Amino acid sequence: MLSLAAVSCTKVDENVYDKYQSDEFYATPAGADNALATVYGKIAGTWGSNYAGRDNCWYDLNTFVADDQVIPHRNTGDWQLDFAQLYTHTYQPSLGLISNTWNWLYSSIYSANLAVAQLTSANADPSKIAEAKVLRAWFYYLLMDDFGDVPFYTDNNTDVSKIAQTKRATIYNFIVSELKANVDLLSETRGGAYYGRFNKWAGYMFLAKVYLNAGVYIGTPAWAEALAACDKVASGGFTLHAGSANAASPLGYSYFELFGDVCPDDETIMALYLKENVVSGNIYGIRSLNSANGMALIGYNGWNGTIIMNQFYSKFNTNDIRRNQFLVGQQAKGNTTYNPTVSSLISPGAAPNDGIRDVKFFPAAPVDASGASNDFPIYRYADLLLMQAECNVRLGNASAALPFINKVRERAGLTDLTSVTLDNIYDERGFELVFEGHRRQDMIRFGHFEDARELVTSAIPTTHRLFPIPISALNANPNLKQNPGY
Amino acid sequence: MNKIYLFKYGLAMLFFFCALSSFAQNVFTGRVLDETNQPLPGATVRVKETGQSTVTDNNGAFTIRNIAQASVTISVSFVGYDVTEKAITQGQSATVQLKPNSRSLTDVVVVGYGTARKSDLTGSVSNVGSKDLNPGPITNPLQQLEGKAAGVDITQSGSEPGTAPTVRIRGITSLQGGNDPLVVVDGVQGNMDLFNQVPPSEIASVDILKDASATAIYGSRGAPGVIIVTTKKSAAGTTTVEYTENSSIDVIAKKLQLLSADQWTQQANAQGVDVSANHGSNTDWYNLLTRNGYTQNYSLAFGGGANGFNYRASLTAISQTGTVINSKFSNYIGRITASQKALDNRLTLTMNLNSGVNDYTYSPTGVGNAAFTSNLISQAYVSRPTDPVFNTNGSYYVDPNVFQYVNPYAVAQTVSNDNHINNLFGSLRADLEIYKGLSAGWFGSWRKRDSNNGYYAPAASTLTSAVSYNGQAHINNDHVDERLMDINLTYKRDFGLNHFDATVVYEWQRQTYNGSYSAARGFINDIATYNALQLGTLANAQTGDVSSYKNDRSLVSFLGRINYSYHNRYLLTASFRRDGATVFGANNKWANFPSASLAWRIDQEDFMKSQHIFSSLKLRVGYGVTGNQQGIGPQNSIALVGLNPTSPTVYFGGSLIPNYSASQNANPNLKWETKKQTNAGIDFGFMDDRLTGTVDVFTANTDNLLYNYTVPVQGPFLVGNILANVGSLQNRGLELTLSYDVIRGKNTRLTLAGNGTLLKNKVLSLGGNIQGYDVPTDYVSLGSNAYLLVGKPVGTYRILQHQGKDANNAETYVDQNGDGTVDPSDRSPDRVEAGQSLPKYNYAFTPSFTYKNFDVSMVWRGSGGNKIYNGLRQQFSILQYLGKSNVLQSAIPLGIESTQYSSDLWLENGAYLRWQNLSLGYRFNLRNVKFVNALRLSLTGQNLALITKYKGLDPELVGSNLSGGDYGIYPRNRTFSVGLNVIFK
Repeated sequence: MLSLAAVSCTKVDENVYDKYQSDEFYATPAGADNALATVYGKIAGTWGSNYAGRDNCWYDLNTFVADDQVIPHRNTGDWQLDFAQLYTHTYQPSLGLISNTWNWLYSSIYSANLAVAQLTSANADPSKIAEAKVLRAWFYYLLMDDFGDVPFYTDNNTDVSKIAQTKRATIYNFIVSELKANVDLLSETRGGAYYGRFNKWAGYMFLAKVYLNAGVYIGTPAWAEALAACDKVASGGFTLHAGSANAASPLGYSYFELFGDVCPDDETIMALYLKENVVSGNIYGIRSLNSANGMALIGYNGWNGTIIMNQFYSKFNTNDIRRNQFLVGQQAKGNTTYNPTVSSLISPGAAPNDGIRDVKFFPAAPVDASGASNDFPIYRYADLLLMQAECNVRLGNASAALPFINKVRERAGLTDLTSVTLDNIYDERGFELVFEGHRRQDMIRFGHFEDARELVTSAIPTTHRLFPIPISALNANPNLKQNPGY
Repeated sequence: MNKIYLFKYGLAMLFFFCALSSFAQNVFTGRVLDETNQPLPGATVRVKETGQSTVTDNNGAFTIRNIAQASVTISVSFVGYDVTEKAITQGQSATVQLKPNSRSLTDVVVVGYGTARKSDLTGSVSNVGSKDLNPGPITNPLQQLEGKAAGVDITQSGSEPGTAPTVRIRGITSLQGGNDPLVVVDGVQGNMDLFNQVPPSEIASVDILKDASATAIYGSRGAPGVIIVTTKKSAAGTTTVEYTENSSIDVIAKKLQLLSADQWTQQANAQGVDVSANHGSNTDWYNLLTRNGYTQNYSLAFGGGANGFNYRASLTAISQTGTVINSKFSNYIGRITASQKALDNRLTLTMNLNSGVNDYTYSPTGVGNAAFTSNLISQAYVSRPTDPVFNTNGSYYVDPNVFQYVNPYAVAQTVSNDNHINNLFGSLRADLEIYKGLSAGWFGSWRKRDSNNGYYAPAASTLTSAVSYNGQAHINNDHVDERLMDINLTYKRDFGLNHFDATVVYEWQRQTYNGSYSAARGFINDIATYNALQLGTLANAQTGDVSSYKNDRSLVSFLGRINYSYHNRYLLTASFRRDGATVFGANNKWANFPSASLAWRIDQEDFMKSQHIFSSLKLRVGYGVTGNQQGIGPQNSIALVGLNPTSPTVYFGGSLIPNYSASQNANPNLKWETKKQTNAGIDFGFMDDRLTGTVDVFTANTDNLLYNYTVPVQGPFLVGNILANVGSLQNRGLELTLSYDVIRGKNTRLTLAGNGTLLKNKVLSLGGNIQGYDVPTDYVSLGSNAYLLVGKPVGTYRILQHQGKDANNAETYVDQNGDGTVDPSDRSPDRVEAGQSLPKYNYAFTPSFTYKNFDVSMVWRGSGGNKIYNGLRQQFSILQYLGKSNVLQSAIPLGIESTQYSSDLWLENGAYLRWQNLSLGYRFNLRNVKFVNALRLSLTGQNLALITKYKGLDPELVGSNLSGGDYGIYPRNRTFSVGLNVIFK
């Protein structure tokens, strides 16, 4: 009996009751399929690791460094200096937002690589493999757009910690060829099961964006290629969402449904699904409102954060329906007056009610103190129209550009332009796409990134068109070289 | 030396009598019993008249033949007992009962899987008997050991009711593998929480196994040291009823000085803080949240026994109300232990049953917004003194203009955070003597621990999450089930001058963990708190509101030990253990842990007989290999997929689905940490042991260091970290214990005792190759600017140097390499080395004095050589945040508006000396009083003084915190207590 006990009691194998073991999990078709969903999970992410919606990652980095929004330090002690330092270009390479963005993109690339490998080995539907490859290319596009030359790999068995940077142009070429090979394999379905996913139209929109900025990336513009890609998107049958007054819509106009709980299919090319505390959340409305105004409007104290500088706001035409997204002066609710002038961004900081607020993403339910459920339009038709206008002007065909820009203006309640310049398009992009994360790229492409800014005294160096490689990445990989100027 | 003398001459005498006195051969018989009426084998019985001697057998019986006299006087001696003389008569069986002598507890030492005489020890073991345990308001037995043993550092960070101190035996030997020693209570093995089940007044002795030759018998659980607790057994023959109580008042020893309302207003005006931030009240938040605490400790113990049977039972109640409002702890322990002999005393059965309930009400933690979350009391520093506590309508005040404003008083008054733990453990031991010297044993123990934690925060708490959802509640249920069984064989034999004993053991143990968590939000009122989660609003449910788990770990061990001694002078101990563990990786399921140690009792040598300097002298040397597997949890070695922890749900294909992702890398090579330790020691006594002491030096190298290495997510690595055995760590140390009886009179005794430890610790290597990938780990940040650096001590500070302020009063830093920028990165040349977070030395001084029935004892203890990063001082010295929070008074002369990086301005010397304990006692002799045998009254003061340069609340906050950062602690108490101990007749 003793020896029997000894034999049965010398077994030391692990018992697993409550977890999935990797090999078992990915061996099933459902598991391989899940690898693709996981990549989309990366786009939504959460705090410090996302494309947009929550804070401290790609969206914040790319918008605060531009001129369409800023979070000032308040003279009541609120708000750390990070965001204001991005706006004034006094930030340091150690800034957490920079490493967050870098880490988010590389972990997204890893999951995309993994999805490509797993879907391929599972002999999945070619459209799914293509979708994973397009996603991967998109993350590389965001990466080289922000950082220039970056480590590049498509096989997860690569020892990334040792590879040197690949030239921005080489990554550009990879993205273009990867898209050419895969975009046509993507589904043509709009909305439904493809809401929030790369279908064929989103794929071409992405390609158009890459070509549009080719001059910045490789020094040689590709306006014709950009226009051709735009035309492909347009063939998907998109239309502008209505701009009419509508009491049932947020802020009284159907236009703002574009930024509501669900992005409407007519205009939306690519959306990011967000639902507060379920799939990340959208903080852009509550972050801007002050506490009393927020409590009065949505039942939660606002964070008294993001404002738009008067320099930007004052360019809007008073008839522009898009101007309704801004809150300035005496407010109907919450006993609040937003003062359009800001005295100081960093020291001693702005007074509590300084600054014009933006509720383009007027908080959609479910909402709580940490955010709302507005989906985020990554790409939409109005953006495409302005790109088509721009390409035509760039190609010396300004008259062909007019109908495109005028469609956008008409919807906004503005009169038609009779002639169009690049400045018109740059401004119109600002009016239409403010708060949507495109501003930095546009400012660089149009050569306005270093323009004088309100309350910024020192000149913005051209080297700031690229972000610094994060210190943590330089520590991890001795082969990486810091971008010039940092 | 007596024994040798007796052996030589006694035998000769015997023959002499046999030859010459064959006509008068009287036989004397008898039995020797111990204090519990149990037979005492191995006691020496010597006939005073003839010098003959014999040793009692396993039944405690002796027989002496061939004596001419009809009656003689025998002298009976046994280690740990007073020598007893008795006149006995031929033909009448005599019974001699021995009484334990005053030093008995220090003479017999419990080592792993057995006991040893202290004089026979070859390893480094500290023994603390019950009379040496710290007195006073004790809520955890570890507090009784503070300062009592060299190399055993017991620290307590703050005095939150129910929080246990941290113990580190001979320093940090693991980074992530855990440094908590194994705890063994009457054979039941467990973690530190086993101490909650030990009534402080029921401890007979504590043995602390320190070096590897002592702990190797515990194999893969032995590396951080072993603490063995032996509880009191009843003195049989008489019944015992003993009542002990201790009551204390606990006051806060130190407060931080923050701005008063007037000072705040003045400073806010000077700084241009918006007037809307000043609400014109005068509130002392810290005072509002604190009070005097009380600690009470009651214990009733009784027992007794007859021949072959004894028992002891006790009931203990400990209750503590904290100095922060709404925090308290109570602990109730009932235990009974019984022992029965059978089969003609060849079989001994011992049963132990222990049941207890711990009730905690914790002060909430994690309070505040992301910029400064902390324990509740530290939020009192945040609150502006000009903020009112209540609104005019009586509700708790909040300032809506401050992001996620918290009213700490509202939190303290309204949040429930209760933890109830039921503990039950029992054990049965059977020891059977099979044949002369050979015995077999079986031991089984089963421990169950059920923990239930309930949390409820109503909307009135002002906590953002509770306000958002109109109340939130959650419940954790956790069950731990620990079973252990061993089968052992021991053999003892003496031949000639050789003594030999051996033990072999097979041991099996399994721990099973399972539990669940559920949360709910949105309650229509606050009546049911966390007791009815279903009353919440289902629509408010979030991912992660429901979860459960189950896992287990098993350890199978074969172990053995041989003790050999020759002539009582040369002692050898060798042990070996082989462990197989489920938590180890597939390639490394089994581990071997050998050890050997030697001792030379120089004082037993003939050449020492003529000298009078040394009264005792022993040299010890040992080497052993031990392991540590605390850091490996169940299933840590296999690749796992789980819900993505940060985004558990993904929108895909038009619906919300679970978002799975790799959660853990596979590591089939995962194994125990290996600690190889060499120890050399000397035990000495001068002047008839008036001056005694021990010196030990040791070197311990931990190889296969467990660490959660950061790896690039690539190749075989599906997630960015992997638990692997790569680095190595070295600890070297010197321990000294001294005790000197300055006065050793009949009525008066003054003893000066103390101990000290020097510790040197170094990271030998960190990086290495993990599954084919080089992981060049170095400059690993532990937080608070403390690092793991190869070649340096664990927790070496590398920090920017404070320079001054710029025109905007922003802190500036020294640009060490003069490149024009200050680089804060981990490897930056602008950082300078600035000491370490772990103390280099600690010491204790424990004098005691007795005069007749009066006694006084003290404990002074301290440590030093370390720095502390005072993160709290940094947080509350930055004037930039004045508009929404309070600051320290010391912040005003500093005048720093903002800091970009942390600097050595906040790095402080962590050395301290604490007057830990002063105790005065008086014993009333009541032998003539009916019913009462003895009564002792005592007065104890704890933490009476603290000598330190540290500016925070208390420098004692290391322990489990490798980085040495102070971000606010529960206040440290100063206590004054009265104790009573009554022994009834």
